[in-house]
Amino acid sequence: MGRVVGIDLGTTYSLIAYMDEQSGAPRTISGPYGSSLCPSVVSVDAKGRVIVGEDARNRLLTEPERTIYSVKRLMGRGVVDIQDELKIFPFRIDAKSDNVIRVVLGDKSFTAPEISAYILRELKSWAEAYFKEPVDRAVITVPAYFNDAQRQATKDAGRLAGLEVLRLVNEPTAAALAYGLHKQKRGHVAVYDFGGGTFDISILKLISTTEGDIYQVLATNGDTHLGGDDIDNALMDLTRNEIKAKYGVELDHRGEDVQTLRKSLIRAKHELSTAEKTLVEYPLGAKGMYSREITRTEFEKLIAPIVARTMAPAKMALTDAKLTPKQIDEAVLVGGSTRIPLVRKTVGDFFERVPHSELDPDEVVALGAAVQADILESGVKTMLLLDVTPLSLGIETMGGVIAKIIPRNSTIPASAQEMFTTGVDNQTAIDVHVLQGERELAKDCRSLARFQLKTPPGPAGLARIEVKFLIDANGILQVAAKDLRTNDQHTVEVQPSYGLSDTEIERMLEESIDFAEQDFAARQTIEARTEAESILAATDKALKNAGANVVAVDERETIEKSETELRTAMAGNDYKLMREKIDALNAATEHLAEVLMNGALQTALKGKSLDEF
Amino acid sequence: MPLSQPQTKRAEGVPVTSCWNCKGAVSGTHFCAACGKIQPLPPGMDYFAFFAMPRKLTIDPAALEGQFHMLSWKLHPDNFVRASEFERNLSLERSSELNDAYRTLRDPLTRVEYLLEFLKVRKEGTTKQQAPSELLEEVFELNESLDELRDARAAGGDVAALRGRLDAAAQNFQAKLTEVDAELGSLGTQWDAAFDSGADDAKRSALLARMSEVLNRRSYIRNLVDGVQKEIAAA
Repeated sequence: MGRVVGIDLGTTYSLIAYMDEQSGAPRTISGPYGSSLCPSVVSVDAKGRVIVGEDARNRLLTEPERTIYSVKRLMGRGVVDIQDELKIFPFRIDAKSDNVIRVVLGDKSFTAPEISAYILRELKSWAEAYFKEPVDRAVITVPAYFNDAQRQATKDAGRLAGLEVLRLVNEPTAAALAYGLHKQKRGHVAVYDFGGGTFDISILKLISTTEGDIYQVLATNGDTHLGGDDIDNALMDLTRNEIKAKYGVELDHRGEDVQTLRKSLIRAKHELSTAEKTLVEYPLGAKGMYSREITRTEFEKLIAPIVARTMAPAKMALTDAKLTPKQIDEAVLVGGSTRIPLVRKTVGDFFERVPHSELDPDEVVALGAAVQADILESGVKTMLLLDVTPLSLGIETMGGVIAKIIPRNSTIPASAQEMFTTGVDNQTAIDVHVLQGERELAKDCRSLARFQLKTPPGPAGLARIEVKFLIDANGILQVAAKDLRTNDQHTVEVQPSYGLSDTEIERMLEESIDFAEQDFAARQTIEARTEAESILAATDKALKNAGANVVAVDERETIEKSETELRTAMAGNDYKLMREKIDALNAATEHLAEVLMNGALQTALKGKSLDEF
Repeated sequence: MPLSQPQTKRAEGVPVTSCWNCKGAVSGTHFCAACGKIQPLPPGMDYFAFFAMPRKLTIDPAALEGQFHMLSWKLHPDNFVRASEFERNLSLERSSELNDAYRTLRDPLTRVEYLLEFLKVRKEGTTKQQAPSELLEEVFELNESLDELRDARAAGGDVAALRGRLDAAAQNFQAKLTEVDAELGSLGTQWDAAFDSGADDAKRSALLARMSEVLNRRSYIRNLVDGVQKEIAAA
């Protein structure tokens, strides 16, 4: 078994973290560019190769039709759900999409879980390069307000990336865990998590027991389509309209131009977190230069309605937790959008205290996920997270009315049992429609799944089928049915309303071969070969330059033998064998290296006085 | 898993079964005393028994919460990530039962509803929708005011005065709700006393029947208050 990690699969950035055994503290792992933030951007080049992260983000400007960002917005959603986003986001949806959205990137189309899986695999490769060991299990975080379909899509992405998903943890809960560890605080904590594409508010109670600490979520609320993206889009609207009015230039919202503008607007947004004003410039070719100063006051006026949208969920969560703002001991800020001064002020005013932001708002969720991954993996429990289901679970009854069976903010796992019977004589199947949401009519709630209960023909009302609905610790629904007359345990084939079926996932996994092992081995082989090449070159050079006075005949023979053995190993693909032979060659050249090093030192020292050192 | 926790007391009406792992005797306890393995939920075990509590209606919220945290620590699926699938399912079953039980018992209203459902005095979700006789006159007046408000709103007339009347009516019914809750509380105390003194079935049944009746009244008034508040909000 390989390593376990915690992953924050974010709208704008994704991060991977692990528990450092020596320090006992969680740490993030950086990628090839030295940053722990992996842009959640995926691009497919003309040869069909997939590019993820910083390189993919650069391709937004050059190959926008082959590149996608903010794919998290599409997770677990159907085509009808995203009509509004399509007007703003440059998603190219495959016309053949049915209940699962397919996005076109170049000549191929992909589902959102597949695209997310590429991001996960990129992060996994960062960790594998760091550990020099395979990584195969992970805790992945999701917005607390994600529904069943969105959670399932995230879990599917993990599976497609070759990761066993040990647990899905809610982002604010993970943040609270990292924060609680850091501060050793007890009491009521509000976590305000305003990220790139989602907003969550969670109210937690931190309790110390004789066994350990318990982080109990009392209530959660949010909006899975509210984030920094919306602020960027507001700035885009403003500038695009001005460019159109002043210069008569209409920027296609899917084109490259708009990505260049978007990039400079994001920079402007970041600057306005510290500066009072900023300048946005955008070249319009022959028509001149669009140049626009934006003051913080103007920016705040523009985004005030977006920030205000976070307050209704915050109030609702507090009401559900049966608390007043004064009873909150600490407010914690998470997510990049909480760097905006107006957001901080809004949160501070609401909770009547200065909110905390000591921990890096970008990293804190991944760090919490790593802590939870370590607890699950090691079996040594030092703390316990008790999370809740964000939305009520219900079933459709007569007249399209929803009957709630598990209320929102119930601690998970949670369950409910319902009895079903037939309505007419000789009815052999009962249709069950499961929904999630707070509205009274089924049509206004989120359809999760439909299934049929089969029963032998008989008079109406004779059938007695007991169905157990269970929301597991990941917030995902499980259904089991039992015929009380025959005592038969039914297997319920739940057809997800918006999501991939098990069969589809199996197929995708087969198509993509088993990445996990093969990828790791392939990368290790390449790395070992590169290292071998450089060592061989260095050895050859040293042997060539070293005279008989430096290297004895038998020593030379031993080194040459080791070189031959390494070259033979390099012809194959066994990276472990290559490593073995590299080590052997290193051992054989140890004396030679020492002699050469001394020689080099003496040459360097010659003619230099001591105080030059 | 170490088994340092005290075993819960033998619950009322739970048959003695044997441990699936070591075949030792278990009875409604969460873990086998001999081998420490988590046990399946015995059929018919009620929420009170789950917490090893008598079927009484007065519960100290802090003590219940403490029990909830203690049992969560032991039963949560986090403890069974590396256990067999069978044990993982048992943990899922027991921890969801724990959460369902805690959610039901911590609220005095759902607690009494649950007791009546469990003892088959009431069926789940059934509430008689006819007005309690002593409220008939007031309900009649209220419905008239509501009709007038809807008419006035439809005709674009003045709703302010009607709103005031409805606000007063809503407050009146809200006060009745408080009265009903007090009555329910008192019946609860009587039930607990009857439980402690080992009162006969007839006395217990009579108390349960009265509680059921008060619950019906409460649910009727609650719906009324909610309805009026919705209308006021819409006006």
